[in-house]
Amino acid sequence: MGLLAEVVALLWRVVWLWLVAIYRAVVPISFQRRKDVTGWVALVTGSGSGIGRLLAVRLARLGCRVVLWDVNQQANEETADMLRVHHPGAQVWTYTVDLSRREQVYATAKQVKDDIGVVDIVINNAGIIAGTDFLNTADELSLKTMQVNVMSHFWTVRSFLPGMLQRDQGHIVTVASSAGLMGVPGMTDYCVSKFSAVGLADCLRLEIAKQKKFGVKTTVVCPGFIDTGMFQGFKYRFPKLMKDLKPPYVADKIVEAFLTDQPMLCLPRSFYVLLILKGILPVSVFDALSDFSGIFNAMDGFVGRKED
Amino acid sequence: MHLAVEVLVCFLQMIWLWLVAIVKAVVPSSLQPHKDVTGWVVLITGAGSGLGRLMSLRFAALGCRLVLWDVNEAGNQETEELVQAATPGAKVKAYTLDLSDREQIYAAADKVKQEVGDVDILINNAGIVTGTTFLNTPDSMNIKTMDVNCNAHFWTVKSFLPSMLKRNRGHLVSIASAAGLFGIAGLADYCASKYAAVGFDESIRAEIVKQGRTGVKTTVVCPYYINTGMFEGAQTRFPAVLKFLDPPFVVDKIVEAVLTDQVMLCVPKSVYFFYILRGILPISVNQVLGKLVGVSETMDNFVGRNKAK
Repeated sequence: MGLLAEVVALLWRVVWLWLVAIYRAVVPISFQRRKDVTGWVALVTGSGSGIGRLLAVRLARLGCRVVLWDVNQQANEETADMLRVHHPGAQVWTYTVDLSRREQVYATAKQVKDDIGVVDIVINNAGIIAGTDFLNTADELSLKTMQVNVMSHFWTVRSFLPGMLQRDQGHIVTVASSAGLMGVPGMTDYCVSKFSAVGLADCLRLEIAKQKKFGVKTTVVCPGFIDTGMFQGFKYRFPKLMKDLKPPYVADKIVEAFLTDQPMLCLPRSFYVLLILKGILPVSVFDALSDFSGIFNAMDGFVGRKED
Repeated sequence: MHLAVEVLVCFLQMIWLWLVAIVKAVVPSSLQPHKDVTGWVVLITGAGSGLGRLMSLRFAALGCRLVLWDVNEAGNQETEELVQAATPGAKVKAYTLDLSDREQIYAAADKVKQEVGDVDILINNAGIVTGTTFLNTPDSMNIKTMDVNCNAHFWTVKSFLPSMLKRNRGHLVSIASAAGLFGIAGLADYCASKYAAVGFDESIRAEIVKQGRTGVKTTVVCPYYINTGMFEGAQTRFPAVLKFLDPPFVVDKIVEAVLTDQVMLCVPKSVYFFYILRGILPISVNQVLGKLVGVSETMDNFVGRNKAK
């Protein structure tokens, strides 16, 4: 196609896509077309607690067959019990796996394929945080943060994406963080791992699009601070603008996002504004704004979970 | 301070900083104040070739004492010799180490502190790339790319930042990439590691600012593809907008950025434009624009260097 024709076609597409994006942003999500995932096999990491557990319950409600991965066997079993109580007849499998160990991830993935078959949805949700200033954080902890929060995504995607591509059906959900879009002192290694997870997710989206596998979707989720206990002690300076997110709300939004094939979800909505500002403003100006927002001191009172 | 006053102060600060940023962007770098780095100790990783070598030559010419780190001993020696030839009498020390090995980094850092002294400018430049699609990239490479391009920054910064903070003097330079701002098909592990480096620079800068250490600066460098051989075979669709860069040009810009305490450097300038678009536009639109620019096709004929570092 001549370049001029391509540019014109592109402009039309841009206008169309922008209108679609505005529509999807503005129209209440309950009115939008949702895909039917009944019978799909959905795998959630970090399902023993927090968002992972809530997602598992919602997936069962949607009729998915749910695969639960967590390092904490007891908590994982509790999640499974909850599912069976709320959704009798739901098909649930639990696996205890340390995501920081590549071989374990692969072995467990193989087990899943043997036990169940193909996996349609992978939700890379598990995450850990040290929560101390970088120079005061033990090397092992920084490394483990990278391993769980991003390297494990490499291994799970390698395990399950080929099957999705072959069937041209699937969805990879990356639960990153707003800390994957902007740096925050007091959680440097966490930020690094989340930036990396966003980068991996961006590349996966492009590689899948390049292969024209339109049935395989990706969603990257960047929430602000969520009240699950993981970030206990974290404090916003202006809670009215950046509200604490309640876990059920976040889980609902994540489910809506992947049912409507939304490529990126930021919570709360004010984060989209921050993203726009970050793109437009010079670094020094954005830093001044960040400083004012109190984010530099948000981690001062961080306590986190007592056990990892 | 009353909140309303603080908001006003912040607002005025932002306007002022914006004006300063515009001036700094518009006024030619040669007319801006450059800091004097004579006698400063500059440590450059990946000094054995490419940008690392050129930066070594430039900083030696500025009167700096050089510490060269590379896994390739011969390449590193050659850089040392070239520096001595170009700037006779320059103080240079070369160390051979594998940046994917944390213990080696710490051991070398200790030696540097004993044999040379405090490092003033740390340039995390070494990088490797695999250049295959995600599913075709062996895990060993995924791991090594992250180790060299990201984790190595953890260990070098841990080694040298404390003294910079104590002396309230120093500069952390992270040679990341435009691939640390945008995803590119065929570069998943590289992008993941470069996004990580960008995030690290941002977070560590915030930590330094929080401690009030105004004498310790940071610069993150995000260039498009550069003609060093590292990305041999990669192609660009519209060279007028995004062309392959000449290493000396990029190094000039990096040196200027360091001397003028520029926090973020994107090369060429069109990368800033795409960065702004990325913030404003919905993902679907960004993706379509990326297609026009041919971003996902750039790695189709990638060859790279034959042996991995």
